[in-house]
Amino acid sequence: MSLAIVGMGWVTPLGSGLDSVWERLLQGEEASATTVSEEFTDRVYKVFRVAESALKGISHPRLRRASAISRFAAAAGLHALESAGLRLDAKSAERVALIFAISNGGVIYTKRFYREIVNTGAQAASPLLFPETVFNAPASHVAAILGLTGASYTLVGDGAIGLTAIKMAKDLMDNEALDYCLVVGTEEIDWILCDAYRRWRLLRQAPPIEPYGNQNHGMVLSEGAGAVLVARNGLFSIESARPGGYFATQSQAGEALERIVRDLAKVEIDVVISSANGTFIDRAESRVLHELTPNAVVYTAKPALGESVGAAGLWQVIIAAQALSSAEVPPVLHADSTVPLRLARSRTPIPSARHAIVLSCGLNQEAAGLRLAIR
Amino acid sequence: MAEAGKQKTANSPARVAITAAGVVSPLGFGLAETLESLRSARDCVTPIMRFSVAQCRCKTAGQVADARLLANRVESLHSARLHRASHMMIQALQEVVTQQPEFEPELMVIGTTSGGMSYGERYYRLLQRAGDLRHAPTWIANYSAQKPIVDAQTAFGISAPCKVIANACASGTNAIGHAFECVRSGRYQRMLAGGYDALAEMVFIGFDSLQASTPEKCRPFDRHRSGMVLGEGAAVLVLENLESAQERGASILAEITGYGISTDNFHITQPEPSGIGARQAMERALQSARISATGVDYINAHGTATVFNDAAEGRAISALFNGVPVSSTKSMMGHSLGAAGAIEAVVCLLALQHQFLPANINFTIPDEDLDLNIVANEARAAVVSTAVSNSFGFGGTNASIIMRRFEG
Repeated sequence: MSLAIVGMGWVTPLGSGLDSVWERLLQGEEASATTVSEEFTDRVYKVFRVAESALKGISHPRLRRASAISRFAAAAGLHALESAGLRLDAKSAERVALIFAISNGGVIYTKRFYREIVNTGAQAASPLLFPETVFNAPASHVAAILGLTGASYTLVGDGAIGLTAIKMAKDLMDNEALDYCLVVGTEEIDWILCDAYRRWRLLRQAPPIEPYGNQNHGMVLSEGAGAVLVARNGLFSIESARPGGYFATQSQAGEALERIVRDLAKVEIDVVISSANGTFIDRAESRVLHELTPNAVVYTAKPALGESVGAAGLWQVIIAAQALSSAEVPPVLHADSTVPLRLARSRTPIPSARHAIVLSCGLNQEAAGLRLAIR
Repeated sequence: MAEAGKQKTANSPARVAITAAGVVSPLGFGLAETLESLRSARDCVTPIMRFSVAQCRCKTAGQVADARLLANRVESLHSARLHRASHMMIQALQEVVTQQPEFEPELMVIGTTSGGMSYGERYYRLLQRAGDLRHAPTWIANYSAQKPIVDAQTAFGISAPCKVIANACASGTNAIGHAFECVRSGRYQRMLAGGYDALAEMVFIGFDSLQASTPEKCRPFDRHRSGMVLGEGAAVLVLENLESAQERGASILAEITGYGISTDNFHITQPEPSGIGARQAMERALQSARISATGVDYINAHGTATVFNDAAEGRAISALFNGVPVSSTKSMMGHSLGAAGAIEAVVCLLALQHQFLPANINFTIPDEDLDLNIVANEARAAVVSTAVSNSFGFGGTNASIIMRRFEG
């Protein structure tokens, strides 16, 4: 079963237009960090947030009370359909499946809901907030906005979940009753997430993210959404989607990635969109890519856009497609100069590039990869 | 991938067998205890002691006993640190591994809604009160939805990719349904599917705040039904290509023959009142199984016992099926959310294997607006060849699977 990307959309800390964000990445721009705080502590963290202007024109009654995560997802999903020129009616909407990739979910409302319980007691619990704490609330809103009545799945995982969702699309499209799958990855930021990742020794309290360094200084969280519309034929072919499974310890990440890259690199790979983010992931990816794809240009967008976990895989896929179609790779920001990879240190042409690997290694012990080709 | 499966992709879909199952729920640990509880129509709903429910309307739930959960724990892991949800998953999988020691799935599909939520609650409470957070990294590491699955895989040396589906209360049925479609398509030969969820204060209070849970007995489809009670547990099933399972001499416990999924966009917490979403899921499952409604002998309803859910589901059932026996086994064990569909698939499996209809307990007066043949209060012997299991969730997500007794 062939599968191809026919539409893309994203909402990022660098904006939301498919080409305008790409142009900013090519120019080496980095999102501006803002501060998140919490009322019961003085500790603050720096994060990359989505500006309200990135959501301009996105309104629907279902989004009135919805959390940021749902608004990001709706905007990215609508942009993906728009870029494919797809207009849905009741009949065609039945033939579109919706797959959501999420890691932390609606954490802002979840914390607010629980805070009221802790502060005031169960009788203060809000029946309006509770439904928005459920993992599939964003998918429900997007299905309602688009009028989708068929299959809808919300997948939960770590940074690799976006690629797992695309693998699921590949499995679902075996069913000839489907014409399209809309795959959306989305995430929102809250102070409590920053604090949790810090305690886990994975967070840097402020930018920059320094990928592939000798020391793991940690990542900076970000938020937003990415969406791809997949069909059976199109410009960007998903040749292989490889869920790598779980690795039991951080030190085993390299083995999981090696299995994936060995499988995907059976053809000449021109560019790798890596998930390096300043944590243990970088060393594992660096070793595997140095060994298995030494000639490929390597890029990570995380220093520019931050670590958006659930949205990250979809952003990487969009970046891979943009790199193949524009035959250019943006510069990797803040990278160690000694890393033995063919890093794009400035805006780098990749003429005649045909194949890209997207590699996702998650912070919660999950790895996945896919190979994209331009036709 | 075996050739047998590949050949099935063109015209004739592969048949999908259940070759092993494991379960932990308020009904018991394992298939034998579950069967005994179902046959005796045991009410397994008990007062909540795990957290304070003093300010809640509802004060009960179906609960898995901690003492047994911990007594049976697998000691090879950092078992003292694991979440209860991990122990439930491990014990459900242990029952499968006992039946199939060499079992190695190509893919796992597991449903959940809450992961290790109670660890997240503990972390937040202590953060807010500037309490002792020395163990916070452990709670954070064990909070994620995939962690109980990683723990279960580690316990038995299984290494397979996993899709964790969080489609609210339909998650478990969606997981089994998706796994069924994967095997049926010929893409996979052996999969493990199921669901888990452990009780959490936040979720309990959430349902209480919606007035969806009841201070009384859980009475699905009763005229005086007043809401649900929550539950917890885990269940997993091995789904295999029937042909290759037979070739290796596996015991075939039953078949899965159909799956239907639909989304109704009426409201985030309430079903479309006519039951159109539920009806579409059941219709699509029947189409998928290539049978008509008259071919169904038993329906394990979603049956949460809330006024609106039961009304919508009841209308959908009576519009499609003519007098087929219906029960909601949530009346006995509560609603275990992401695990519910998986546990109820095991209930259907036992009904097919042992030829009986599980009971819908606490049923006193039929709802005059619903034309249903409820299996009231006592399990009864019956010829059960085909069963439907329904799960419907927040966000308007609806799923039905169809299971068939294996007759060679």
